Amino acid sequence: MNEIVAIPLPQLLLALLFIVIAQTTSMVWHLGLNRDIAVGTLRTISQLFLMGYALTFIFRAESLPLTIGIFLVMVISAVFIIKGRVKEREVPYIVPTLLTMVLCYFVTALFVSRAVVGVTPWWEPRYFIPTAGMVIGNSMSALAISIERLFSQMRQQRDLIEMKLCLGADYREASEDIFRSAVKAGMIPSINAMMGVGLVFLPGMMSGQILAGADPLIAIRYQIVVMFMLVGSTAISSIIVMLIIRRRCFGSGEELLLTPR
Amino acid sequence: MIFSRHSFRLPLRRKFPEQTLLDKQLSGNRPLLEIENLSFAYDGSDSPVLEHVSLSVREQEFVMIQGISGCGKSTLLRLLCRLNAPSSGKMLFRGRDITELSPPLLRSMICFVGQLPQMIDASILDNLLLPFSYAANSQKEPPPKSMLIDMLRKFYLQDLTLEQSAAKLSVGQKQRLALMRALLPGPELLLLDEPTSALDRESAAMVFSIIERLNRDEGKSVITVTHSDYAPASPNTKRYLLRNRKIEPA
Repeated sequence: MNEIVAIPLPQLLLALLFIVIAQTTSMVWHLGLNRDIAVGTLRTISQLFLMGYALTFIFRAESLPLTIGIFLVMVISAVFIIKGRVKEREVPYIVPTLLTMVLCYFVTALFVSRAVVGVTPWWEPRYFIPTAGMVIGNSMSALAISIERLFSQMRQQRDLIEMKLCLGADYREASEDIFRSAVKAGMIPSINAMMGVGLVFLPGMMSGQILAGADPLIAIRYQIVVMFMLVGSTAISSIIVMLIIRRRCFGSGEELLLTPR
Repeated sequence: MIFSRHSFRLPLRRKFPEQTLLDKQLSGNRPLLEIENLSFAYDGSDSPVLEHVSLSVREQEFVMIQGISGCGKSTLLRLLCRLNAPSSGKMLFRGRDITELSPPLLRSMICFVGQLPQMIDASILDNLLLPFSYAANSQKEPPPKSMLIDMLRKFYLQDLTLEQSAAKLSVGQKQRLALMRALLPGPELLLLDEPTSALDRESAAMVFSIIERLNRDEGKSVITVTHSDYAPASPNTKRYLLRNRKIEPA
């Protein structure tokens, strides 16, 4: 296999041409995206360089507390991103979401790095952190979609939910359809990804390994594990988070707390 | 008589232990429902909607609460079936604090029918049998189709078939269907929130005549709130006025 080709700085800057194309498009068509593209470009460069140095340091340090610390920072950042996307303020959902994410993703990352890939120690940062990163990133999007859907549907269908409650439904029965559709909405992108992988797109992790000189047959094995891991972790974290949040939408008398906006 | 003594009587296969207990407490001749010093204010609001409201409703009574729009009539009914939680006060159903009962069981005994009738996107039959799909009503036998067809006629809905979609019905038809659905599991007390507000005069008269006959012939206890000045002819009628956050005999 070929050695990995490092990209020299001038060539890296050459890639900025793509940003120039995007900026020009925005200007010509008055898309109003110039500022966002500029900020996004700067953030991409700075965040990734920062992460690159951080990872180099962490991989060399081989420290358990540092690895767990990075893991926690990643989960907390994900929760804040979810908080930014979900506009709900009446029902507290941040703490249960955070705790569930920490628990689910830790178990998943642990399982994959220890049982499937079989690295020692189990927290070997070179495996544990990228694995956790993929799980967190994927589930974060799924949870943001599911939580937003749950809240908005609960508000929109308030009269229907109350009608069911009045006919003797408990809060689970009254919100069953909404719950199901919200969890499904979050899960569908992960399932669609399993359908298209290898045909429509080559996932980032696998492409990265191949670009880095790995045998494609080794890369696909990793990718298969990753795809399954993403679907499984998304399913379990979505269900747990949504069960907790749904209960919080109802009061002690099983009355719906969300009022129409 | 269109409404026979048995029009809405539905067979109960087995009763909940809690329900049997409630039946026993009936023997003490207590009112069906007692409201004591009930107050309610919305979260973050200084001015209460209801203040120290007390009321008692006996078995087979037809209680009509009138008042201007926005005076808290609907809120009072919502508190009775725990769709809202009171700021203070107590509500007893057959002598038991309603907060001691499981909410689904309470709501299967005290059934609230909202101002705007809600239907699930399915056939009339599915809508009518909806309450029987819930655990709180699982011990109750769903009515046979023949009985439902008979009831449709008694609710002036003889033009409808059980198989047609409930979504395209008029508000008046939905209102009567919602009332019929609420009655099927056999609640002990009906709470009706402005049952005729969205209806034309003719449909409103139909709905009121159904409610009155339910009370008179079936002995069903009813609390209805309305801003109209409709005067029911039922002998068990008690009329109240809700104003200035308090309730008083009309």
